[in-house]
Amino acid sequence: MSRDGIAGLAVLAASLVLFALTLDLKDNPMVPVGPGFYPRIVLALTAALSLGLVVADMLSRARRAPTPAAAAAKFNYSLVAISFAVFALYAIALPWLGFRIATFLFVGGTNALLDPPASAKGWGRALILAAATSAATWLVFERWLSVLLPRGSWTGF
Amino acid sequence: MLELLGTALVNVVQVKYLVPLFFGTLAGVIGGALPGVTITMTIIVVLPFTFGLDPLQGLAAMTGVYVGGSAGGLITAVLIGIPGTPSAIATTFDGHPMAKKGEPGRAIWLGVWASFFGGLLGGAFLIFATGPLASFALQFGPWEFFSLFVFALSMVAGLVESSLAKGLVAGGLGLIVTILGNDPVMGQKRLTLGIPMLEGGIDFLPVLIGVFAFAQIMSEVERMGGAEKLVGAVDRSLSLAVSHFKVMGEILGRPFLLLWSSFVGVVIGVLPAIGGSAASMFAYDQAKKMSRHPQKFGSGVPEGIIASESSNNANVGGSLVTIMAFGIPGDAVTAVMLGALTIHGIQSGPLFIAQNPQLAYGIFAAYLLAHPLMVLIIGLAARFMLRIVTVPKSALFPVVLVLCVVGAYALNNTMSNVYVLLAFGLLGYAMVKGGFPLAPFILGVILGDQIEINLIRAIMTDADPWLFLTRPISGALIALSVASVVFAVWQHYRHREHLAADGDADF
Repeated sequence: MSRDGIAGLAVLAASLVLFALTLDLKDNPMVPVGPGFYPRIVLALTAALSLGLVVADMLSRARRAPTPAAAAAKFNYSLVAISFAVFALYAIALPWLGFRIATFLFVGGTNALLDPPASAKGWGRALILAAATSAATWLVFERWLSVLLPRGSWTGF
Repeated sequence: MLELLGTALVNVVQVKYLVPLFFGTLAGVIGGALPGVTITMTIIVVLPFTFGLDPLQGLAAMTGVYVGGSAGGLITAVLIGIPGTPSAIATTFDGHPMAKKGEPGRAIWLGVWASFFGGLLGGAFLIFATGPLASFALQFGPWEFFSLFVFALSMVAGLVESSLAKGLVAGGLGLIVTILGNDPVMGQKRLTLGIPMLEGGIDFLPVLIGVFAFAQIMSEVERMGGAEKLVGAVDRSLSLAVSHFKVMGEILGRPFLLLWSSFVGVVIGVLPAIGGSAASMFAYDQAKKMSRHPQKFGSGVPEGIIASESSNNANVGGSLVTIMAFGIPGDAVTAVMLGALTIHGIQSGPLFIAQNPQLAYGIFAAYLLAHPLMVLIIGLAARFMLRIVTVPKSALFPVVLVLCVVGAYALNNTMSNVYVLLAFGLLGYAMVKGGFPLAPFILGVILGDQIEINLIRAIMTDADPWLFLTRPISGALIALSVASVVFAVWQHYRHREHLAADGDADF
């Protein structure tokens, strides 16, 4: 089964699970249709469409003659995975370390991850970027625009 | 109407509004010029800056981003052959060859002035059509709104480039996001999956930011593997000097081309989620077909640049009509603008102009004024843009992500929106890798609550389901929805037969 079929199966499974959960929803006497009415329509339609996608994928694979394998484009998926992980750490750290410290660490770390510094000068640039981003965003948003940013429960900062 | 517009123009030229409009336009031109940074990402980055401003200041800035970004893409398209935005792809076809022939200034300024005139023509449509369309939409009851939103969703799903099935599944996924958490009619909890954070439902703005920002950034990251600069060496000896009257004469001396390309841009802008790239490609294609010398297209002819740039800026006017008259975003950029309106407690839709005339006409005025500002900014800074585009992606992307976090957090000062941002960033990237279009997904997220509210209201008013078909406007919209799906299926099979006849491999 191809990527399309797998994605279709995943959406089908999610739709069916959620549909089953809607069966427990109790109607509200003030509204002629309960809170589960519309979700059931949406979930049933999405389940049907994703089933259609799975079937279409299976039929197209049966119909398609084998083609020679094309040269796979080289994508750096490990860098993507690490980048997501670094962002997740940033999101987790924000309420603990506070915006300024977490942002400094995130910007410096991500910059070094995407373009590893080869010299002290490179590290210096990464640190300056991190410090400047953290300071500038805090100044502009909290001080000038009065947009509150997360405070750290560990740092109070 | 003209009196209101005149008052709004006088209002918007005050420093209080002119400054955000200027900086928004500047940000748009820079963001538009940077390959890999879309207008959507630029407006997402500008969004948090608008939280502390009043609604018109914020929307003026965003309108400036939209106008500036639609024109900014032509700078790198012409000078280095890499379009800054998807809507400038067609500009590359003739803009870069013209620059290579030793006329970079003529190529840039043909694009800039074509953007200017096309944008103003789009603005005329925006100003004169929005009111009547909104008045027409005031006749709508919940049946008509339900059918309109379903039509918008079906059209988007059918008109995206990937398969219809994937487009509809993506739309369905977007609708599923809106059913999690609570019922929008009675506020009853449902499908919270045991997660307390979901009890209030999911805000569409962090979903939009997460999906678009991460999909774009991670699609660039996956191609990185070392030191990355956006472009290589910059030719600092470039002269962009040109006779502006001569260039304007070249554009205005082709009035049919300018009007037709702008018309194409406006129509495509009104249709939800199709976007400037489709407008400029279609206009370019039309210009080539209507030309007496189609074989010259691609070698550096002015018609190619004029068609592409006038249509992609007129497209902005068309997109704004849809959101201001119906409350339906024409593309991701107007979806973010819709978010900004919501943050300021303003409901867009048919009553928007009637209830907020100063704001509505302020947006019209900002749109018009953004065009001369765009010309001024590019005139002063075009050459320097090439230095900006040498900014390494490794430095740009973390800064953009920080601003996305600020945008999500500041919505209600809770971390839950940041976690939503991350979760939907993962989903958005997975959808892009799986070939699922993002536009129907986002439209489903934006319209889902309204579809449900109007369906329930219709049933509460009169439980007869046939009213959706027997009421004329609703029936026509449902018929159009079915027709758009049938048309998409027909196009798909026609394309497959065409490929089979050519003996091409089907991928």
